[in-house]
Amino acid sequence: MDEFFRDLLGIGAGEALGGAAALGLLGSAYNRLGDIGERGLGLGEELAQRQIEQAGFRPYTVTTATGGQFMAGPEGQYTMALSPEEQAFQQQMFGGAGQFFQQAAMPTGDREAAIYERMRATMSPEEERQRLALEERLAGQGRLGVRTAQFGGAPEQFALAQAQEEARNRAMLGAMQQAQAEQAQQAALGQQYLGAGYVPQAQMLSALAPGQTAAAAQQQAQLYGTGLFGEATASGIDALLGSALGQANLLGAAGTGLLAGLFGRD
Amino acid sequence: MAQQLSTINLVAPAFKGVNTEDSPIAQDPSFAEIADNAIIDKRGRIASRKGYSVLTTDRSELLNTTPNPDVYEPVRAIAEFRDSGGNTEIFSVGNNKILSGTTTLVDETPSGYSITADNWKIVNFNDRIYMFQRGYEPLVYDNTSGAVEAMSDHTHSNGVVSTMYGNEVLAAYGRLWTADFTTDKSTIYWSDLLNGLHWSGGTSGSIDISKVWPDGYDEIVALAAHNGLLIIFGQHSIVVYQGAETPASMTLADTVAGVGCVDRDTIQHTGTDVLFLSHTGLRSFGRTIQEKSMPISTLSKTITKDLISLIQDENSFYRTVYSPEENFYLLTFVGQSTTYCFDLRGALEDGSLRVTRWPSSVFSAYERLQNGKLYIGSDQGISEYKGYQDNGESFRFKYYSPSLTFGDASKLKFIKKIKPTIIGASGEVASIKFAYDFDKTYRSVAFNVPSAGAGAEFNVAKFNIDEYSGTTQQVVRKALNATGSGSTVVVGLEADIDGNALSLQEINILALVGKTV
Repeated sequence: MDEFFRDLLGIGAGEALGGAAALGLLGSAYNRLGDIGERGLGLGEELAQRQIEQAGFRPYTVTTATGGQFMAGPEGQYTMALSPEEQAFQQQMFGGAGQFFQQAAMPTGDREAAIYERMRATMSPEEERQRLALEERLAGQGRLGVRTAQFGGAPEQFALAQAQEEARNRAMLGAMQQAQAEQAQQAALGQQYLGAGYVPQAQMLSALAPGQTAAAAQQQAQLYGTGLFGEATASGIDALLGSALGQANLLGAAGTGLLAGLFGRD
Repeated sequence: MAQQLSTINLVAPAFKGVNTEDSPIAQDPSFAEIADNAIIDKRGRIASRKGYSVLTTDRSELLNTTPNPDVYEPVRAIAEFRDSGGNTEIFSVGNNKILSGTTTLVDETPSGYSITADNWKIVNFNDRIYMFQRGYEPLVYDNTSGAVEAMSDHTHSNGVVSTMYGNEVLAAYGRLWTADFTTDKSTIYWSDLLNGLHWSGGTSGSIDISKVWPDGYDEIVALAAHNGLLIIFGQHSIVVYQGAETPASMTLADTVAGVGCVDRDTIQHTGTDVLFLSHTGLRSFGRTIQEKSMPISTLSKTITKDLISLIQDENSFYRTVYSPEENFYLLTFVGQSTTYCFDLRGALEDGSLRVTRWPSSVFSAYERLQNGKLYIGSDQGISEYKGYQDNGESFRFKYYSPSLTFGDASKLKFIKKIKPTIIGASGEVASIKFAYDFDKTYRSVAFNVPSAGAGAEFNVAKFNIDEYSGTTQQVVRKALNATGSGSTVVVGLEADIDGNALSLQEINILALVGKTV
């Protein structure tokens, strides 16, 4: 057998067995190297998976002092919820704003008429007193029956009627201006109510900042931990892969040595 | 032994005019029981009035055909149109026509304008003459158109509507004023300033005084203007407005209750006052305002009951005139043919005016012309107050004294002689009348007044002054025997005035006073 190998391979059987062993070692080293890569990939994937999990967003909730809540969901969605009192307040404000805007959007004619009637109601008694006083004065002067082409009645009657008519005109203009002012005021109030309706939400958003800061810090710590975990795990993997690589290298070197011993003696 | 004759000397008899109010035997002999067709002349004597001289020669337009055929209707109003261009025209109304002219009366009635009454009031205003009568559209005449036309037909008229067809019209304070309408008795309309044709627009207007009457209700009868006042005469009250220059703002100044005006045509301006006939006699506006409605303020207290009776019986027209030349205010009751002549030279102690009576007066219209002539309307047409004949005829002058007692009504008086002193006259037959004890059957002693000139008794004008221009005034003194006796005596003088003035200077009565009866 030894001859055979010698005849055949030029080496003896011992040498052939040593060569086979060296080849086996080299193959084992080769296979180990392949396994080490596979294992490193698997460990890397596992590490990545674990780090993804570790670095993943964690839902959190911010609750304000007035009972409002900000909830950040796991998918990144967030929900804000006002407290019942705030919701009631908001509804009240929105309702008021709606009413004010509705009133502001209405034509001013009816309001003008209403204001004018109220102004006339305050003016009419004095006008009636003036009319009666003039009537008495004219009666005392025997002039109740005066009719003139120039003035209609007596000049004083004309003057009084003119003054009263001018007062009516002023009242009408005043009513128009007042109605328009009220319209602007309704719009402004609507704006104010509308703004006030958003105050709970704004206040909750304001209150959200500190909560978000805390969450961010927590996230940052989480991410840092994840990094450390990754780095440590990666170091372990590196060490593991290094040792496996060393083993494979050792096997390879052993196989190489054997081969060199076998073929280097001649 | 012969008894001494007592003398009563009636100096300037009837100097105080007629007095029918006081008791005849208690009267001042200066009054007269009757003073017919007389005036108080400038020397304070009772004298004959002037007559009227008819100017109209063609009065055919006054001839009525229906309903009184062949009757000449009297002229009911006369007015002289004058404008700033010096144009004049005499207008008159009568027989339901508007007439012009004096010698020949020409019908000026607008074509198609129907008239059934002649109670027009005619006023001059700003170069036009306006004629108003209740229920009739006012008529207007100016020299430009040269014709009388209905106011609405005038090219410049405006606002002429039936509501202002008034019976009274007044031209004063730069406007025409009208009142007394067919149904509206309390409203006064005034025209635009200086334009009697404009009754709408401008400063025209009206005033209803139905709430102003002091007694609650009255009806406007007449309007007058005096001292910036608009005087509104009602039937029983007077309302006075001040500031009538601007009627829109004029104010009530005064009211008088219980005194009104009988008729629009009794109002006359004397320059310093306004005279009007109330239901209780002739009144002065000035005194009425001062004394309010006190009845003692009448100017006709000596004939109050006579006037009231005439007023109550009058069913036709009142016509009056004020003549500063003659110094009288004539008041004619046309329906009763009676005229009273109020002398305006002075007043009696109680403020009443001296008054005489012109009976059987045919005067139916008066107009004092710008030149002072006094035109008279009658059924003869238009006449002038002048001369001493009534259209060529004589008229009867009468004077009767009140009952004279010679100081003692209880004793018999035997009138022996009556010595009248007459100024003027010429050739007339005069009669001294006397009666005793209120007997109305007078004894009469006629005498002839010598013709003036050679036949005059003295042929010397008194105080060498001709009292009436163009006529020599003679003084006639007569001593006439009288008979009879009685406790009171009325003495009178009657004369037919036939061309000459007559004044009664005095009557001297010689009487024998007898026993007590």
